[in-house]
Amino acid sequence: MSTADTEHDALREQLPVYAIGALTGAERAVVESHVRGCTACAAELAQFAPVAGALAQIVPLHDPPAALRARVLASTGARGVAIPVRRSPSWAPWLAAAAMLLVTIGVGGYAVSLRERVRVLEGELREALLRVEEGERRVNVALKAAADAQTPLSILMAPDVRRIDLAGQPVAPSASARTFWSRSRGVVLTAANLPALPAGRTYQLWFVTSQAKVSVGLLKPDTDGRVTAILDNATNLPDPAAVAVTIEPEGGVPQPTGAMYLVGAAH
Amino acid sequence: MWLLAALAAVGDVEAAAADRDALARVVRGDHDALAEIYDRHARLLYSLALRILRRPTDAEDVIQEVFSQVWRQAGRYDTSRGTVVGWLVTVARSRALDRLRRDRGEPPSADIELVSRDVVDPGAMVDLQLVDAEQAARVRAALGALPETQRVPLELAYYEGLSQTAIAARLETPLGTIKTRMRQALLRLRDALAEQGR
Repeated sequence: MSTADTEHDALREQLPVYAIGALTGAERAVVESHVRGCTACAAELAQFAPVAGALAQIVPLHDPPAALRARVLASTGARGVAIPVRRSPSWAPWLAAAAMLLVTIGVGGYAVSLRERVRVLEGELREALLRVEEGERRVNVALKAAADAQTPLSILMAPDVRRIDLAGQPVAPSASARTFWSRSRGVVLTAANLPALPAGRTYQLWFVTSQAKVSVGLLKPDTDGRVTAILDNATNLPDPAAVAVTIEPEGGVPQPTGAMYLVGAAH
Repeated sequence: MWLLAALAAVGDVEAAAADRDALARVVRGDHDALAEIYDRHARLLYSLALRILRRPTDAEDVIQEVFSQVWRQAGRYDTSRGTVVGWLVTVARSRALDRLRRDRGEPPSADIELVSRDVVDPGAMVDLQLVDAEQAARVRAALGALPETQRVPLELAYYEGLSQTAIAARLETPLGTIKTRMRQALLRLRDALAEQGR
């Protein structure tokens, strides 16, 4: 039996688990690249699409709380800007309840204090909207700066370019980054909201595979926590399962030692 | 019977078209269209998130995140790839599993290894496809009828996002055995779907 046949058999075994979304990023990438070129596996995969749906549907059904609808719709804002939640779990229903109390009780000391609280929350909401807008603007500026230069353009335009988005980790929850990777031409990374580095430290970018963690380069954000890095000498990197950014001693290290600030699974 | 099935299929096609239409309006900034999608699917998404996270407030946060993402990314979703509801379910499960892992204090900051090895990545090239109530009942029954050795790994993978490696470790069972059992379980569920309705 040829190695291709062996590979086909091994991957075919994994198709059902792949179809329900239960493989890791690394396993998933292998299956996907095989299925693209194998019509038999693609056909078999399709048989499991309703199994994946059914697993989601057979859970005990519960109606979401009525206030959630208002909260969801309010969060999308009037100007099409989404507010990242994640802070206090459920202020929106409370806000709605508070507003109703204001109407029904009328003006009393209680209502006044509620009104004050509502005012504060409204202020916070406006600030959050502004922050989101600012964040988006910065990412756009960074992306434009990246696209303007010649080298990143060639990476971004590479036929084999892939995008991997990185999310902030508990040490830097508001940080985010986007990498564009071309095996033949290198890596472009733009990041925003990275915490300021202490003296003698640097951020380091890693490609993580199931076998190794490969250093891609060092990142020095500006005072606003932004960085656009063009790592055009980082060619022939291995196919990553994940991409991560850690904090390390100045000059970088051969293997990661510090806390992880950003990470994203490669798709 | 076939008539009912045919009518149901037409209904599905119409519902899918209505979703696509609503999503196109969301891209243009139409809040009512988002409300329409919410009204059609929030119950399913919330129930799935609640099954995964078990705490109503967590499930609510996930639903909020899902719809924020829909609002922001509707324009990027390629509707030729699959149904809108398939996308929504995948996003909701993915967000719920992320939160579950965060609550368990799993991967991120401490262990970079775990990111590549033990974290399930929910997206798939083939979108999931919803089934009708009768088929769902058959899958539920088939899942309940599976031997525990097959059912438990499947539930850990789908509802808790554990990788096959992590399941093998937790159940103290060889990885190869876990893979075989999960495959057998899913083949059984597929066959249950294919059976004719009674």
